[in-house]
Amino acid sequence: MPDDQYKRLTRERTSQLFGVASLARTSLWLGTDHLLLIEANGYTESYKRFYFRDIQAILIRTTPTRQVWNWVLGSILAFISLCCLAGGLVTSVRDQEWVSGPVIVFLASLLLLGLPLLINNLLGTTCACQIRTAVQTERLPSIVRLAQANKILNRIRPLIEAAQGQLSGEEVAARLQDFQSFQPSPYAPPAAESPGVPPVIS
Amino acid sequence: MKPTISCPQCRILLLEGVFNRPQPTPCPSCGTPLVIEVFPALFRPIAPGQSAEAVMVEGESSCFFHPQKKAVVPCGSCGRFLCALCDCALHGEHYCPTCLETGKSKGKIKALKNQHTRYDRLALTLSIVPVLFFYVTLITAPIVLYMTFRYWKAPVSQVSKSRVRFIIAGVLAALQLIGWTVFFIMLGKSHR
Repeated sequence: MPDDQYKRLTRERTSQLFGVASLARTSLWLGTDHLLLIEANGYTESYKRFYFRDIQAILIRTTPTRQVWNWVLGSILAFISLCCLAGGLVTSVRDQEWVSGPVIVFLASLLLLGLPLLINNLLGTTCACQIRTAVQTERLPSIVRLAQANKILNRIRPLIEAAQGQLSGEEVAARLQDFQSFQPSPYAPPAAESPGVPPVIS
Repeated sequence: MKPTISCPQCRILLLEGVFNRPQPTPCPSCGTPLVIEVFPALFRPIAPGQSAEAVMVEGESSCFFHPQKKAVVPCGSCGRFLCALCDCALHGEHYCPTCLETGKSKGKIKALKNQHTRYDRLALTLSIVPVLFFYVTLITAPIVLYMTFRYWKAPVSQVSKSRVRFIIAGVLAALQLIGWTVFFIMLGKSHR
């Protein structure tokens, strides 16, 4: 039966960068004791559950996707604007009258390219998010903006802390350093039992 | 998995300065701004697996699957006695491996359900796309109606209850069938 307790955290998004036409879409939902990652591929949905008690870490890194889109959209818009300006000037001077064609093209390109450019910048920095448990590190492709990631993190952090407890950044660093210092190096040669005698491999 | 955290960009081992900070902090190696939230589960040791005890006293209940092992719990689904080895605990319930497998394959245990077919989306596609080829609707419209009635009561998805797609698909399929009926009646009349 469908669960009323699930609350939408992210909208359905394609899992590829330029996969606008792709059928594969993912979304993230908040359950009572877990996060539910839905991967919809056309007519089937597959579910991955991340229980709050099992989540070890959430890793978010900023990506240059916003700049890439800015360059792509900005360059095309600038090129079309220049072409319209040059075309308009040449035609106006030659025919000695105002021509509306280049203006219409410019306005259309402003709508088709300028608006996405504006939205891309308003949404903020892009990011990639991963969730880690003891058995897997899973990418969350539906989280693509840092502001959105922070909002979701602020929402789920208290739930995870309620299930597991809390750790400060200093505690995490101290524990990780302790673990590193206690680990025997895998490259250290086995110690000889007595001088001059080769080590025995059991 | 070891309790270590690596930079998702450059894979260098992170040891301090970037954990549980409210603002993005640059990776000491590659400089990529990172937000890394670490929880106590990272340092939790993995619980060792249980081993079943042998039956010591005659008449003591034994495991259904291992008669020489002592039963510790009954299966929450079939009621068979299980030893510690056969006991599969899931959200406070205890299941035998057979019931767990059956529950997964038949979708009886909701927490194990990991795949679902969206018949509502399929029905909607089948009611819209064939319109482009028109004659195909003679076949697809009854299929859509069948799917709509057959899966109407089935759960649409794990998270959604909306049957709007089924309604639209059903209405479109019904209209297509009405259109075909009218067409055949007109065809019959013109031949008389």
